[in-house]
Amino acid sequence: MEDLAKTTDVFSVLESRGVSRRSFMKLCAGVAAAAGLSQMAIPRVAEAIEKSVIGATSGDLYPVIWIEGASCTGCTESFAQIETPDVATVVLDVISLNYSETLSAAAGWSVEEAKAQTIEAGNYILIYEGAVLKAWGGNALRVAGEVGTEALIEAAESANAVVAVGSCAVNGGWCAAHPNPSNAMGVEQFLAEEGIKTPVVNIPGCPVNPEWIMSVLVDVVMLQDPGLLKLNDFAMPAGLFNQTVHDNCERRGHFENGEFVYEFGSEEEAKGYCLYPLGCRGPQTHSPCGVTLWNNRRSWCVQAGSPCIGCCEANPNNPGDNWVQVNAPFYKRFRDLRVGDLHFQPEPVAWVLTGIVAAALVVHGFGMKKTGRMDGGADFEPIRKWDEAHPEQSIGVYADPKTGGPVLDPAICEENTQHAAAAADEVVNDYEKE
Amino acid sequence: MTRSIIDPITRIEGHLRVEMEVEQGVVTDAWVSGGCFRGMELVVQNRTPQDAAQIVQRICGVCPVSHAHASSIAAEKAYGITISNNARLVRNLIEGAQFLHSHILWFYNLCALDYVNPLDALNANVPDTYDLAQAAGTSMDTDFYGLKEKLEAFAANGQLSIFSGNWFDCDNGEGYKLSPELNLICTAHYLEALKMQARASEVAALLGGKMPHVMTLIPGGTAFVPTESKLDDLWAMVNEIYDWVSTTMIQDTLALAPAYTDVLTFGKGCGRYIAWGVFEGPGWPYGGNYTEQMIHRYLPMGVLDEELNVSDVQEPLITEYMGHSWYKGDGTYESPYFVTEPEFTEYNVEDRYSWVKCPAYDGKPMEAGGFARILAAYQRNVPFVVEQVDAMLVALGARPGQLSVLQNTLGRTASRQIETLYIAGLMKEWTQELMEAIAGGDSEYFKEPLTTTGEGTGFWEAPRGALYHSEKVTNNNVDGYQIIIPSTWNLAPMNADGVHGPMEQALIGCPVQDVEMPINALRTVHSFDPCTACAVHITEPATGKTFKTVTSPWGVK
Repeated sequence: MEDLAKTTDVFSVLESRGVSRRSFMKLCAGVAAAAGLSQMAIPRVAEAIEKSVIGATSGDLYPVIWIEGASCTGCTESFAQIETPDVATVVLDVISLNYSETLSAAAGWSVEEAKAQTIEAGNYILIYEGAVLKAWGGNALRVAGEVGTEALIEAAESANAVVAVGSCAVNGGWCAAHPNPSNAMGVEQFLAEEGIKTPVVNIPGCPVNPEWIMSVLVDVVMLQDPGLLKLNDFAMPAGLFNQTVHDNCERRGHFENGEFVYEFGSEEEAKGYCLYPLGCRGPQTHSPCGVTLWNNRRSWCVQAGSPCIGCCEANPNNPGDNWVQVNAPFYKRFRDLRVGDLHFQPEPVAWVLTGIVAAALVVHGFGMKKTGRMDGGADFEPIRKWDEAHPEQSIGVYADPKTGGPVLDPAICEENTQHAAAAADEVVNDYEKE
Repeated sequence: MTRSIIDPITRIEGHLRVEMEVEQGVVTDAWVSGGCFRGMELVVQNRTPQDAAQIVQRICGVCPVSHAHASSIAAEKAYGITISNNARLVRNLIEGAQFLHSHILWFYNLCALDYVNPLDALNANVPDTYDLAQAAGTSMDTDFYGLKEKLEAFAANGQLSIFSGNWFDCDNGEGYKLSPELNLICTAHYLEALKMQARASEVAALLGGKMPHVMTLIPGGTAFVPTESKLDDLWAMVNEIYDWVSTTMIQDTLALAPAYTDVLTFGKGCGRYIAWGVFEGPGWPYGGNYTEQMIHRYLPMGVLDEELNVSDVQEPLITEYMGHSWYKGDGTYESPYFVTEPEFTEYNVEDRYSWVKCPAYDGKPMEAGGFARILAAYQRNVPFVVEQVDAMLVALGARPGQLSVLQNTLGRTASRQIETLYIAGLMKEWTQELMEAIAGGDSEYFKEPLTTTGEGTGFWEAPRGALYHSEKVTNNNVDGYQIIIPSTWNLAPMNADGVHGPMEQALIGCPVQDVEMPINALRTVHSFDPCTACAVHITEPATGKTFKTVTSPWGVK
């Protein structure tokens, strides 16, 4: 009851500032979900946000410095697409964005001065977008007469936290793809090399989704309790990045039914079938794209007809594991799938994921034919209903075509893992002939 | 003699430095430096053209669609694919959505803060503001009372957020010349524009999955297949954007122009223009004739000389020079492919001072961008453009057809609003056309390649101007890739003869009262809508290949 009363006050304060109840509720619920909190925590989230709003009792806006490293500005752009709350509300009512190469009114020395003053005053957060470039002693990126790496060190040293937004900031992104001409890497690795201890939160994506930034901003900046933000081993918000695209995909049902799109823009695409044969990286890519969606929740890659190309794949400790290198060629199956390289799921989730990935490998992506169950994992159908009814058209490989059962022959598993792409093509050809 | 330096230039895309020599209040020399090197062309070597189209988008988060588009066109030319009519329409719509997004964001949220002082809007008299908005014929969607209160709360808090370190009091407090009432209107539109640019991106997301970096624009056509509900949403959104654009952008430009007539007196630049053309035309596919295809685009291709005579582009006339940039050697290289190797030396305006190379057409620097497109469209007699440009000239007190009146910083800034309105209208046309085509039974969106070996060039336009992607493909493997970006043209350093690049030329002659806050130089830079992440590129042969020649290793096409 006490919480309820406080919440009402929060609403009235915010409403007087033009933030609608609806958008505020959405924000709070999103924040709570991202932090892994129960719905019961929403009033507490709301109260914390209220305290950081202009004119509220405890007053000031939280200073934020947003530095663009070797970026395409896509993450700033993406941030500018945020709708709940809109970007104007964020930069005028929620944070004080004291330095942004894209949005700042000031230019030249004045904007550098604004940054220097913010750093000197301390108690700010640094958002870093784009890769860290080390080539030519850092001269691959020059800003305000100094090298980009120095600017990052200066701003990161005194920050309360560094939020690395976008896959480039997490591990170099496409800039680090072979041959990595500018010697690109991620923020966390660079700061560790420099001995800077400021905590780093990684939010991958190409670009980052603005809702993910917002939920982290609110958790770290406003609640002033980074402990609320559960991070996985990659320092990514666990609530956002511990499940795969495949786990929450709107076309998952078609995957289960063995209904696939084999050519772009085809009749099967019009029916919204599964994009797995076109190379979809949903099964191995950890991101909530299908849940948060993109651009005011308008759509996302799979909904629009494109397979996931795995742009959230980013191991912060290894620029070589950037999403381009790991996933290209994007529209082929399994060139570079790293089975067993699932670093950060809690054990039961890892088991489930391993089950899915292994099953997918075994059957080359034509329906998840995994049978039996794995310790700590979810139940799987022993044999797909559709396959049972159409044994002559069944495309899975079962130990027993009638009762199902997993393929346990280690030689087959090994061969499939080694030559997955070629084998998959073969199965596709066979299937199409039929 | 004084040096005036703006570094970083803000409210652009990427990292840009401008250094100027100022004598007696006027810029006498200027050097523009692009500050970041990433090496995109190297990354796409030895990958598939489909992957290349996705990767090259990441050059730029503001104009990703254009890069995917140009790359896809290059692949389609190499593969002998003519995309279907429905794919043409879907792709025009995605591209158009990005142009609208980019232009709205650029004008209101990046460029306008050189003219508009939102903090002065606190002094506005609200009833007068309503009268002024009505007189100017501009939109009154915002509650001006509510906005003023919101600004008061913001100011009372004391933290300036994105206005920290602003130049609003430059030139002894006379640099910003709008009345508080007009400042309040434009601040309202700044905020409305933030929503509207997001709405335009939402259109791109509807068709492309997400924005920035759309997913469905692929060599061969589009992966997006429209459903009825998507088409309904599309129709609603393109109408919403059109309604807003048509009641604000040109009106606001004309409302602020009288206060800034001095900005019509500098910033001409090199006075020669290139546009490769954008938005494939209604007579698709022009029998495979590339020149016809480019001339019939909704915004047509055109190369304009000093007298604005229009001619057709000839690929071999495009060259790039490296002698003032951080690359090895000082050769001049011809399109489509050439070898350059990055090598940082030091920042020295007497020698090498930029990561941007120096492209030339027929040996001369050229300006690219919205202004270049509008001039090309005018000279090619695109009716909507001719009508709107003439109307704007008359509103500025000139005669119809007197294009030289627009060859300056304010003219370059204003002409982009005409383009925005044109595209906003076309979006409605294309949506209708697509719905009719589907109702008529057209259902082809994608074509498989006929071959996986060949060479192709994508002549196209990004919001910031002429965009060129060229690739050589062998067995579905890219072994030569070349990109020349609009901002590379505009931000070019000096050429081999010591002639300055277009933006450098535009800066020379700018009046500068205060070398610490050279607002007119900043206005001139922003009028180009520069994009430096795009501008910096290199090309290198695939590993194991040997070519050290200055021209195409595969011979001139």
